[in-house]
Amino acid sequence: MAAWDLSVIVEDLGADAPPITISVTSDLHIGGVILKLVEKMQIKRDWSDHALWWEQKQRWLLRTAWTLEKCEVHADARLIFMPQHKPLKLGLPNGLTLKLRACFSNPVFQTVMGICRLLNIRRPEELSLLRPVEEKKKKKDKDLSEDIYDLTEVPLSSVSRPCLYNGMPAHFADSDKLEAVYKMLSVTQPLPAPEVIAKQYRPASVVDKAHINGRWLDSSRCLMQQGIKENDRIWLRFKFFSFYDIDPKYDVVRVTQLYEQARWAVLLEDIDCTEEEMMLFGALQYHISKVSQSEPQMLCSSAALDDLETALQSLEVKMEGESSSASELLVRMMATSLSSTKCVYFFRPKRLTLKGYKQYWFKFQDTSISYFKSKEESIGEPIQQINLKGCEVAPDVNVAAQKFLIKLLIPAPEGMNEVYLRCENEQQYAQWMAACRLASKGKSLADSTFQSEIDSIRSFLAMQKTNGSQGHADASDESINPHSLVSPRYHKKYKPKQLTPRILDAYQNVAQLSLTDALMRFLQIWQALPDFGLSYVVVRFKGSRKDEVLGIAPNRLIRIDLAVGDVIKTWRYNNMKQWNVNWDIKQVAIEFEGNVNIAFSCLTADCKIVHEFIGGYIFMSTRSREKSEVLNEELFHKLTGGHEAL
Amino acid sequence: MEDIDAMFSDLLGEMNLLTQLQSLGQEAAPAADPPTSTKEVNFSIGFSDLNSLNELEDKDLDDLMSDLMADLNATEEKLAAELQSLEAPPPPDLPPPPKGLIAPAAAAPTSPASPASVCTPSSTATSPLPAPPPQSVKPSKEDLEAQLKAEKIKLALEKLKEAKVKKLVVKVLMNDGSSKTLMVDERQTVREVLDNLFEKTHCDCNVDWSLRETNHELQLRTFEDHENLVEPLSAWTRDSENKVLFLERGEKYEVFKNPQENFCGTSTIVPDLESVLHLREDGKKSWKQRLFQLRASGIYYVPKGKTKSSRDLVCFVQFDNINVYYGNDFKTKYKAPTDFCFVLKQHPQIQKESQYIKYLCCDDAWTMNLWVTGIRIAKLYENFKTAEKKAVVSSAWTNRSTPSSSNPSTPSPTVKLPPPPPMNSLPHPPPPPASFGGVDHSLPPPPPDPEFLPPPPPDPQVTGGGGPPPPPPPPPPPPPASAPAPRGALRPTGSAKKMPPAPPKRTTPVMGGGGGGGGGGGGDFMSELMKAMQKKRSDQ
Repeated sequence: MAAWDLSVIVEDLGADAPPITISVTSDLHIGGVILKLVEKMQIKRDWSDHALWWEQKQRWLLRTAWTLEKCEVHADARLIFMPQHKPLKLGLPNGLTLKLRACFSNPVFQTVMGICRLLNIRRPEELSLLRPVEEKKKKKDKDLSEDIYDLTEVPLSSVSRPCLYNGMPAHFADSDKLEAVYKMLSVTQPLPAPEVIAKQYRPASVVDKAHINGRWLDSSRCLMQQGIKENDRIWLRFKFFSFYDIDPKYDVVRVTQLYEQARWAVLLEDIDCTEEEMMLFGALQYHISKVSQSEPQMLCSSAALDDLETALQSLEVKMEGESSSASELLVRMMATSLSSTKCVYFFRPKRLTLKGYKQYWFKFQDTSISYFKSKEESIGEPIQQINLKGCEVAPDVNVAAQKFLIKLLIPAPEGMNEVYLRCENEQQYAQWMAACRLASKGKSLADSTFQSEIDSIRSFLAMQKTNGSQGHADASDESINPHSLVSPRYHKKYKPKQLTPRILDAYQNVAQLSLTDALMRFLQIWQALPDFGLSYVVVRFKGSRKDEVLGIAPNRLIRIDLAVGDVIKTWRYNNMKQWNVNWDIKQVAIEFEGNVNIAFSCLTADCKIVHEFIGGYIFMSTRSREKSEVLNEELFHKLTGGHEAL
Repeated sequence: MEDIDAMFSDLLGEMNLLTQLQSLGQEAAPAADPPTSTKEVNFSIGFSDLNSLNELEDKDLDDLMSDLMADLNATEEKLAAELQSLEAPPPPDLPPPPKGLIAPAAAAPTSPASPASVCTPSSTATSPLPAPPPQSVKPSKEDLEAQLKAEKIKLALEKLKEAKVKKLVVKVLMNDGSSKTLMVDERQTVREVLDNLFEKTHCDCNVDWSLRETNHELQLRTFEDHENLVEPLSAWTRDSENKVLFLERGEKYEVFKNPQENFCGTSTIVPDLESVLHLREDGKKSWKQRLFQLRASGIYYVPKGKTKSSRDLVCFVQFDNINVYYGNDFKTKYKAPTDFCFVLKQHPQIQKESQYIKYLCCDDAWTMNLWVTGIRIAKLYENFKTAEKKAVVSSAWTNRSTPSSSNPSTPSPTVKLPPPPPMNSLPHPPPPPASFGGVDHSLPPPPPDPEFLPPPPPDPQVTGGGGPPPPPPPPPPPPPASAPAPRGALRPTGSAKKMPPAPPKRTTPVMGGGGGGGGGGGGDFMSELMKAMQKKRSDQ
């Protein structure tokens, strides 16, 4: 067979280096070409990650057993010999950037699998890559500081099965630098300053939200084929909102990043919620940031160690509980009210009088308060005893004015009786407030949560104290601005000091949660929002003259009026008989049971993206029946591949 | 030694509290006369004659005793371990303590306390009184202390006898007009009371049997099985004409009879519900129309002149402390537009008409059932969260489960495709009556992982989140196909035609709107709920 010259550019030799020419025959297989090439270069190094990229055809020559003839490579082919793994700047859901080595030759689906293995995120099929929204280029300095997280040094071979070392995948344990990366991945980020939230891009309409979905990369093709270059910036995000089998023990990074994505979705109003829900999200963020600062190792997932530690901790609690049960706490409570001279109490029955505050001696017992004319009479019969179980407790506090009121709404057959307790100072207020809260839930002062309840009330008072003066001075949790916890809409609607009591109100129901539970609760409430899991695309339905929005959810498709935002029609996947894509006219056609046929063309995203969403969600729904942990890549590819799957 | 002392004084303090509590309770409801004898009141609550309750009391006392003993034992063992370390080797002349008795501290060179045994009542717990410390042994400091302790135990036990668990004598009306009177203690759940009633009535024990509360004749609600009966009944006023009824209510577990179909579909945990309802204005006779929305976080309405956008919604009620009642004859009594009314009552204590009772009226029975069921689901979800919180707190005390292992979220947003086999063709076995917990399990968020050690492997079959629903009620058997259906159904051909997994087949056509009234007519209520909602939307 006739020999001919094939020139190959070797990327590692530099852009200016001349191509290396080797003599080949058409029946030489790709492996042989590479061997010849390496022999000719005479550079001793590990070339195992390298492969040939055919520039004109935009594809890799990865089948080393195929001959040049079979690959249809001729002398005019422009081949580049380069590594398959290249550094990439990965934007994480938490907003930080991580430099790592990603695979540029396999389909993006596999690239994501590799990235997730490296970052220790289970269920990689739920994530994907998308092109970032262009940022205004003014903060050069910030870009530099972002690059401190670097995982490019981690040898790819070491990232096989995550074996845990010190609660951390072993490949993070090699150096302090890598450990810091793991911490960044597995611990929630501090609260953003209100200005940071306000400055970020917020989608103003469904159409805005639709545009982001045009940025998803094609899972079936590789990064090189999609024009991604070495060191490019790309975002990693959860794409399919169907989170399978979350286990906080094994999903430390996954849960943390999911929380970050959810938190930003709420803060930037990517998903709509009511004011009450926003306050609850705010309270949870506050709690999570507080707890993760005080116990950053809590989420570390060395399962066995965790259990042991928890066991020991609860044992301690148990011991403590034994030595300080009801009566002692009661005494302690009495003592503290004694030390602050008298408990002041102001009783205002049903607004009959405006300033009818009267001073009484108060006693807290079990879940009831009793009051007496004076301390001396407190041994005898109280004037009245009020059981607080089931009552509503609300704060009415103005630290600057030294007003510390506890508003109690006590249910009675006819309605609620209003009672105000006025405390003398912060200290007393925090204790009595905590006691009232516990009592309203039917818990006595002996409850283990009494002290933490007091602490949380005090930290909120501190928040009110500092946020009178605008600004987010230092990062200590004493100076949190409540505007850091809610979307910019509420920055305009409420002053920080108006916001604090509202968040506090929601906070009392979550203050006792552990870090993991608080994170899970956040995700749970997020998932319970009516619009959760909807990805939007602007489409034109066949036979319609106007643009409309298609919402793609984990279980259904919805047709939304673009102007009004109303849901026009819902179709469920389990009524779907088949769908197909006409790639020539870029139209998706779906047939549902009962002879319902719809067809639409996609305007803000390629129809491959829509195809992938639908096929992807159907894939996600098959997972529960899979017995093994092994990801069924083949099925995913079949359901989402389109042309490539043929 | 100081520890022991402190513990005892604490214990005594607790006893005091208990007795105080009791006397307080008695103050509140001094109905010492046998309630059934009062003529015109057809339902009575109150504390029954203590003498007639000896049996129960003893049992309760036993329970309390065993708790107490377990605690004491633990402390003993701890102490013994301490002693051992102090004066090793332990005095050899002391006989090992008899197994069934509490050993005095000095005579207990037993194994060091193991955390696991702390909460388990040991066999000693059943002995009614601890044996006095053996006097024959030469009195040491420890012995004296042990003696002192025994004294204190005696005292504690006496106090204990005074402590009572709150009980009510409840008269339950049967559907044949007769009644049964039974004793309910405050720890009993409605489920347990129902089981009691099953024994007394020899009925067929099906899951639809319920306890219903009528609140001054005009409102009805079914107690949920997990509720405690005593608590809501205690809130009734003494002259109340409220009643407790025992009857079959088909709608009680309707939603759970096919949870897979009902819940797996949506990512939302609480069904999306939105409709125009009539709201009775506070204190007025007029009814006003508003567009209401049910969300996991509460019931909202659209304020006048605003859009349906979430951020504009006004919170009408949140679910803590809310109970939902069916209204009865509101058309006459409150001039309601229709008779399909339901009531939201905020606190169990509230019994009389006031701003804390919200009256809502629906256009038809169907809408009313959707709302009442939707609210129940939302409430159960709320209950679940509370229970879970409690579990976390208590686990800190009992070290039986790790707080971090609880797994609150992961509602299963996964679509079951292909879905379960035909749903209406066979009535599914109802959830086992004895455990409402089982039904809880079928709610989307999985219960906290009860396991302590070893941690569950990362096997999706074991950790419940989003996985197949747990046993009760058993999900329909999966299709026998060994290969996943979609694979078979797919045709990777050039035509680019794709078949999603086999669609569900409804063998029974679903009837629209027919099942009104009590909603007891079988059928798949929840998918109807979903359907109705979709229809509503698509009609708009």
